[in-house]
Amino acid sequence: MNKAQKPNVMALRLATYIMLTLLAVVFVFPFYWLFTASFKTQAQIFVTPPHWIPSHLMWSNYTDLFQQTNILRAFFNSVVTSAGSVLLSLFLCSLGGFAFAKYPLAPGNNRMFAFVLGTMLIPGAVTLIPTFEILVHIHWINTYWALIVPGAVGAFGIFWMRQYMGANLPDDLLAAARIDGCSEFGIYWRIAVPIAQPALAALGIMNLIGSWNNLMWAFIVLRTPSMYTLPLVIYLMQGEMSTPWGMLMAGGVFTVLPLVIAFLLFQKQFVAGITAGAVKQ
Amino acid sequence: MNQNKNQIRRAAFLTLALAGACLAGCQGNPAVNAPPLTAQQAAQPVKGNITVWSWNIAAKALQDIAPSFERAHPGTRVNVDLTGAQMQTRFMLSLAADVGAPDVSQLQITDAPHYMATGKLADLTAVAAKYQSDFPASRWAECVMNGHVYAIPWDLGPVAIFYKRNIFTEYHIDPSTIHTWADYIAAGKKIVALSHGKTKMLALGVSGLADMFEIFLQQTHGQVFDDAGRIAIDSPQARKALELIREIHNAGITLDINAYGQEWMAGFNDSTLATYPGAVWLGGIIKDSHSKFEGNSTRWGVFRLPAIERGGVHVANLGGSVLVIPKQCANKAAAWAFVKYALCTKQGQLMQYEKESLYPSFLPALKSKVMDKPDPFFGDQPVGRLFARDVQKIWRINRTANWAEAESYIQQDLSQWAAAGMPHDHLLKTLAVSLHQRLDVPMAPASELSQAAPEVQQ
Amino acid sequence: MNTSSIPGGNQAGGSRINWQALWKYRHFYLFVSPFFILFAIFGLYPLLFSLFLSFTKWDGITAIHWAGLYNFRLMLHDELLWRSLWNTLVIGVLYIPPMLILAFLFAQILNSQWLKLKSLYRAAFFLPAVTPMVVIAVVFSLIFSSERGVLNYVLLMLNHVLPFFHFKPIHWLDSEQWSKVSVAILVVWRWTGYNMVLMLAGLQAIPIDYYEAAQLDGANAWQSMRHVTWPLLQPVFRFCLLLSLLGTLYMFDEVFVLTNGGPGTSSTNFGLYLFNLSFTDFKFGYASCVAYSVAIVVFGLSLGINRLNRRNSEGA
Repeated sequence: MNKAQKPNVMALRLATYIMLTLLAVVFVFPFYWLFTASFKTQAQIFVTPPHWIPSHLMWSNYTDLFQQTNILRAFFNSVVTSAGSVLLSLFLCSLGGFAFAKYPLAPGNNRMFAFVLGTMLIPGAVTLIPTFEILVHIHWINTYWALIVPGAVGAFGIFWMRQYMGANLPDDLLAAARIDGCSEFGIYWRIAVPIAQPALAALGIMNLIGSWNNLMWAFIVLRTPSMYTLPLVIYLMQGEMSTPWGMLMAGGVFTVLPLVIAFLLFQKQFVAGITAGAVKQ
Repeated sequence: MNQNKNQIRRAAFLTLALAGACLAGCQGNPAVNAPPLTAQQAAQPVKGNITVWSWNIAAKALQDIAPSFERAHPGTRVNVDLTGAQMQTRFMLSLAADVGAPDVSQLQITDAPHYMATGKLADLTAVAAKYQSDFPASRWAECVMNGHVYAIPWDLGPVAIFYKRNIFTEYHIDPSTIHTWADYIAAGKKIVALSHGKTKMLALGVSGLADMFEIFLQQTHGQVFDDAGRIAIDSPQARKALELIREIHNAGITLDINAYGQEWMAGFNDSTLATYPGAVWLGGIIKDSHSKFEGNSTRWGVFRLPAIERGGVHVANLGGSVLVIPKQCANKAAAWAFVKYALCTKQGQLMQYEKESLYPSFLPALKSKVMDKPDPFFGDQPVGRLFARDVQKIWRINRTANWAEAESYIQQDLSQWAAAGMPHDHLLKTLAVSLHQRLDVPMAPASELSQAAPEVQQ
Repeated sequence: MNTSSIPGGNQAGGSRINWQALWKYRHFYLFVSPFFILFAIFGLYPLLFSLFLSFTKWDGITAIHWAGLYNFRLMLHDELLWRSLWNTLVIGVLYIPPMLILAFLFAQILNSQWLKLKSLYRAAFFLPAVTPMVVIAVVFSLIFSSERGVLNYVLLMLNHVLPFFHFKPIHWLDSEQWSKVSVAILVVWRWTGYNMVLMLAGLQAIPIDYYEAAQLDGANAWQSMRHVTWPLLQPVFRFCLLLSLLGTLYMFDEVFVLTNGGPGTSSTNFGLYLFNLSFTDFKFGYASCVAYSVAIVVFGLSLGINRLNRRNSEGA
């Protein structure tokens, strides 16, 4: 019976492979189109029938990009704001998560933690306008702080770190460290942080995707070209009437590439980071 | 040991990154509102960089005049920023945050009052009041709020009818015999009949209704808001405007497509449409884009806007822009010098007109011989002169801070009115009430609105 | 904080603030304080301020005017609000089913033992979820271009293969009928991989014994999916659905860059509507009112759905 089924199973698997590959091609196509368009002239981008493969690699879009726009500055801005928010958030979330996980007897621990979880219910849309106003009043509009600080400690990050540390940080180890005269912060920094590295990586990657890609908040708080991040530069390159498509595509490649490379190198951590979000159900 | 090294590296990295963020973050300094501009300051020689936000041909026009301005004012540099996406939104954000606004910005005339009401634009009264008589009264009034000048008029949008000479010749219609909208409708009926419905007189889609309404409201001397800012739309003038729109619509001479859409543009070069009522800047759009569409080469002409009745006004205005200087601008003297050069000199305005067809609202420029130049595109008609006629008679629409918003509600309700064949009175009553509700502005008493329109201000 | 102190109450421990315990655990309070400080500034205060603003008229610049219930009445007449909610619903209905089905399918296939090159496929489907939306939306606006876009080109090519369909070029972005579909396609492309990964994690959490037991009972592949996978994946599925629903409501980048809500208001979802209300029209009072009201309604609905769900699973 098993043998009789075999050709059928093979046919089914082959069909699955073909379908899966086709769909994979469809999913990757926009990246391919972005990449090839960055080597085409304006006319070549819009030609019908389309040039599936560029006739030759034309680098002028990239040279234009670096000469006519402030893309390197934007790259720097993106790196600073992303690194700033990822690091600050990792530090504060792991510190908070550590405290919630490892001081269960501290009066109010449970209630405070429930409160932290409760804050997850607040949609960002409600707090957007007042946050803008606060930043106006403390003169943080058009600074890196505006992108780094307001979202630095997410309730989810604390929850995530607490769960991980609760499960993976043996109390004996902490007790032993205390006996050795290690300070509480020292326990966190020297023992908890190294052990929580996988969780930190996942959380960090989640934050990185969010801050690297952030468009709306950047659009609102960054006011001068010298402060623009990459997504904002890309967005504003679209003119009302004329858009330099080739250059825009080159800028797109420049914006996407760091994340794509990071993703291909650390696929496991990325997946873990995204899956982290699912735990909260 | 190894672990220790790791820790040090981690700590160093964290400190470094935070320090870097701190340093870089401190760059954006809070803007301080510079003191207002005085006439004495404006008289001093200016220098420094001026950043200007503008779009499309308007931006190009400013780029055209920048070199001669820089020559006249050594030590200045004008940087026209064309990156257009969401410019007006970004401008408002910068005004609200007191940081990041350009030194000079373009605004559409319909949006300008909203920005003026914020109190974040520089008061130009001290230096600009003397130019009042150099601009059409209606346009100047739109740049003034509570007696203070906050903007300088840039281009004007007088309305006329762009028509296709070849079609008019084919059906033996003489545009010089079209004086009133009744004449226009009659001509349209003739064209539709003779072409067996192939050619319609004009496009009147849902989105074009608001423009048409604004034209007629100006010709009947109606208002949306009265002088006190109350809602005054439920008036005999507005009713007359609606009647005219419906008359045109019911005459069977319209094509139900939306203005500025693909089909509408394609009509530039085929024979589906005989005329395009529009402001002077529509001429530029036709010139720029007619060749992008297939079809035989259309020969174009322009005739004046038909009047409501014989002897009535042949003018109305659609659109146009202004230049403003934000309060936060650090170098207001230089910014003003540039605005003055661009908008309050014949040289500046005419250069923009000749190079980019940006139609001046500066009256001395309109009196220039340049306006008499025949335009080959329009069959050697001196189009510039045609549009300049009677600009002083353009009716002043009271634009309040929520004009742009009101306009969007009018457009919404007009499309329902057209689709449902709603009675005029019903539309105007519901529109007045809904404007009252949505804008939270009082309604003018009905007794004041039923009066006949005041005389045209000359 | 931890106890309510009743004056003259009983002496049982815990009825008075235990300063000693607080001091003993001072590090706990120190370590969690950054969250509470930042939350107070960027969470609690905005929440209260926004509530206050709901009853005012304010442009963010000039003086704040108390408006009473004016904003709430305005919502009833605000056609654009209702249209944006309707658009949100339509876009959600257009993309959520295909996205979740595709994601489930991919997850199911990627979870098979026999499949080779798993990480490659996973990368292909998942990559869109990590890329900046703005870049992708720009590329899609090229692909969707009605005159010269690749998508219409392929559609017309299909006419040679499937002559009876008579595909015509579709105005993906500049027609009111198709703009929502275009947004939906973009969203499916972007978020399928994300949901796939969530479901994959859910599938991998199902113990292999369950399948073996089902196989012993003579279940075929379909039956074991129906009776083992499906019930056990339900929580993940529900989570994906909830995320997608909220995501559609507050979605911004996708619409902002691809269509900016147009043509007209045909693809304006709630997120873009609220943004425009706030930062294009600068109606801070009204925008706060709308944001609050919708958030409360959404909160109430999800509570209700949750309760219903619980009752259903209890009843089952």
